[in-house]
Amino acid sequence: MSFILRRISTTKTGKQIIRDQPLPGETITLGREGGNTIHIADLAVNPHHATITSADGRHVRVTASDGLGFDINGRSVDTADIDSAAGAELRFGGHRLTIAREGDDIILLVERIDELSQSSKDVDEAKAFSLAGVMPGKRMAAWAFGLLMLFAFLIGPIWAWHSYRQVDERPDGYHADSAWLSGPLSSAHASLKNDCQSCHVEPFVAVTDKACVGCHTGEHKAMSMAHANAPTAMLLAARHPPGVGERILAGFAKTFNKPQGRCVECHTEHEGAGPMPATPQKFCADCHDGMSARLKTAGHPTMLADASDFGTGHPEFRPLVRSAPGAKLVRTPLTKGVVDYNGLKFPHDMHLQATGGVARMAASFRGRYDFGKQLECENCHRVDADGVRVKPVEMERDCAMCHSLAFETVGGVTRTLRHGEPDQVVADLTAYYRSTPPARPLQLGGMQRRRPGAYAEGQVYNIYFREVAVRPSRAADAVRAVFSKGGACYDCHTIVAPQAGTSWRVMPVDQTPRFLQKGWFDHDAHKETACADCHTAAPRSKAATDLLVPGLRQCRDCHVGEGGTRLVKVKTATESPCAMCHEYHSDGGKPWMPPAQRKKNVAAITDRRPRDAFAVSLITGPGRRQLYDVTWRTPALRPTNTGG
Amino acid sequence: MASLFQRRRSKATQTERVRERKHEGFLRYAGFRWAKISGGLCLLVIVSYALVDVTPRHNGGSWYGYTLGTIGAGLILWLTALGYRKRKMTSTAWSLKAWTSAHVYLGLSLVVIGTWHTGFQLGWNVHTLAWVLMMLVILSGLYGVIVYATLPAALSNNRDEMTQMQMLEAIRAFDRQLHAAAQPLTPQDTAPVLASLDEDPFAGGIGARLSGRYAKCATGAALVALAAARGGDAEARAKVVGLLSQKQAALGRLRQHLRLRALLEIWLYVHVPLTFALIAALSAHIISVFFYW
Repeated sequence: MSFILRRISTTKTGKQIIRDQPLPGETITLGREGGNTIHIADLAVNPHHATITSADGRHVRVTASDGLGFDINGRSVDTADIDSAAGAELRFGGHRLTIAREGDDIILLVERIDELSQSSKDVDEAKAFSLAGVMPGKRMAAWAFGLLMLFAFLIGPIWAWHSYRQVDERPDGYHADSAWLSGPLSSAHASLKNDCQSCHVEPFVAVTDKACVGCHTGEHKAMSMAHANAPTAMLLAARHPPGVGERILAGFAKTFNKPQGRCVECHTEHEGAGPMPATPQKFCADCHDGMSARLKTAGHPTMLADASDFGTGHPEFRPLVRSAPGAKLVRTPLTKGVVDYNGLKFPHDMHLQATGGVARMAASFRGRYDFGKQLECENCHRVDADGVRVKPVEMERDCAMCHSLAFETVGGVTRTLRHGEPDQVVADLTAYYRSTPPARPLQLGGMQRRRPGAYAEGQVYNIYFREVAVRPSRAADAVRAVFSKGGACYDCHTIVAPQAGTSWRVMPVDQTPRFLQKGWFDHDAHKETACADCHTAAPRSKAATDLLVPGLRQCRDCHVGEGGTRLVKVKTATESPCAMCHEYHSDGGKPWMPPAQRKKNVAAITDRRPRDAFAVSLITGPGRRQLYDVTWRTPALRPTNTGG
Repeated sequence: MASLFQRRRSKATQTERVRERKHEGFLRYAGFRWAKISGGLCLLVIVSYALVDVTPRHNGGSWYGYTLGTIGAGLILWLTALGYRKRKMTSTAWSLKAWTSAHVYLGLSLVVIGTWHTGFQLGWNVHTLAWVLMMLVILSGLYGVIVYATLPAALSNNRDEMTQMQMLEAIRAFDRQLHAAAQPLTPQDTAPVLASLDEDPFAGGIGARLSGRYAKCATGAALVALAAARGGDAEARAKVVGLLSQKQAALGRLRQHLRLRALLEIWLYVHVPLTFALIAALSAHIISVFFYW
């Protein structure tokens, strides 16, 4: 029996060369040191690692010496008994020791199985030197990211839409399609931001008006009456010819099934939080500039005049005018010589003169009323509580300071004729003449003896008693005088003389509360301007029939177009978009304006006069409630209901 | 007649030669042709944006926004096609260099086209996500252009006329020598050497690759340990220490090489996957617009 050390080396061509070497002695030592029987140049092997012995020439005992064991069949041990006929594989560091039997000899095969070092291992140059070895593959990442995007932002939102398809209102919480929100909703619609389907009902179908009208019904219906009643074809025909860009957009819209003329075309959403933006002039001018010709060509003739810009292209105002006494109110272009019959007689020129009777009377009331040296407009014309409009003139409040209706004083109380009640005036005067005797002459009083002859014609008795006798019939003369030229009523009113079956009648007074129905004018916003600056005709107006509403020319003294365009020289220009005066939705209210653009009210409140400073009670004493209330008849203004 | 053509041809070859000599890269291709085209496009977009009056304000849904969006989406798809184009060898009019040049400059113009398409309305939604991804792709591409222009010189300096495999081979040689030289050492001393041999020169994650810092470098540790060791065969140990420091130098060169290559390559790991994420997000963006029309 002997140990044979077998070494296998491989040539460069891959051929194996086997060399056998008999080992002397019964005990074989194995280690890194050169003195060992089997010398293994392996740093992982101890200098004296193990001894290999065989007692019977068949069984081999391997014993580790320096405490560092070895592996046999994958287990780490210090000692192993091996039947060489069965064979075994032992591992020392990076080497393998295979024990086998050939004939009588025990073959010890030593091979290096591990690489000398890590760097000696074969590498794939392209992979090892690039990032491919340490990064996940680009293709892999591309798929992962791409699918993630598709799931989160395409499939998720579509699923969210699908799952609430038949639901009226979505529950709160996160819905995947909110990732599609292209911008914050306006404050009015902010609550809908999680419920895309409240407007976007059908996929690939543009938002329809139906979605808007679903909520905007009844009092919430905010559509302009003028525009709502117009057929869509007419609205579309009114639009200006499209430019290049709009043709592109129209092309997009047509190709991708986006009908035109819907609410959302003007009321654009997803344009940022806060209120919807104020309507720029362009929205109006897009249609109204040159619209009448376009509508005529399209077969929808219109009465509407073209308007493009307040500074340069705006039709003349058409105030409501009563062209004859008792006639209907008609919107009439503001030209020279337009008359408006409101039933009153009032020469503005006489009242506004700096000298003359009126001025002197006003001056004599200084201190008692707020009069100056002469009458001013605001002495008679009062503005509403909100300052927007001028109140209709009321006799008791605005005229009676001078035009007193007093006719008698009883115990310090002045009795006045009742304004607005001609029959009562007649009755009062009749009663006055019936109940009150003429003033008794002094000669008729006392204890003085009366001399005969005093009853003769022309003497005091005769005069007095004759007067007493006819006194009641004088009433008719007084009534006639009051209602006739030079009388208190006649001065201001148109009087109808008694006919068969009627008494004296006064023509009803109809003061138009708002001349310009389509535009909004706020007197309060203009209070720094003198009345006559705009109502230029007033100081020279001789008759109440003169229409004193200012025209476009007066407005354009200050107001220019949205972009500052103007036809005349303007000192302090106020840029005026359409929406400054015109309310698209025609609800009769003030045009909406963003808070930042609103005119601030800076006038001191103390400038306002007490409300009833000029109340008629100062003249006549406290009257019975409603005694002098004037019934104000509002003109029936149909146009506001049919499309103002 | 023949001489006329001759002259013309020789002139063409002359131009070509000058180009070759100056090494006209994709950046300066054809006298910055695509830079000029792209710059002109950007200028056109910026000026027309200011001139075009869109109500109520600029956004992606106006006709102008649609136009920019269509151009932008088309550009993105075309730019992506470079990945396909570069794998196809052609010799026809559009050389890969021309294509790359156009890719770089038109890609940069996408910053203006895409951003102006948004009308500067950004938010937390898929639309802005697509924009962000586009910007990330462009920025990573811009990084790529910059490192392609600057790093190859550093890479070349570091190589010192060695190939990559030669660098590795040097380490292998030092490993073999170390293995042999360390044989006389005590087991205590061989352990660090063994650890050094066991160290994979390509080990370390993406962080180590990009920073070039390998804190747990076994070779460095072995150097320290052996320098401090006493007893045993001092001569053999000194030899091992010498070999270790040589190995460390070789490792340093290899690691610097790996770092430069990582810096050159890392942007593609952002550029390419994000491009596909962008295309997915872009699809979602476009479909969402038409879905909720």
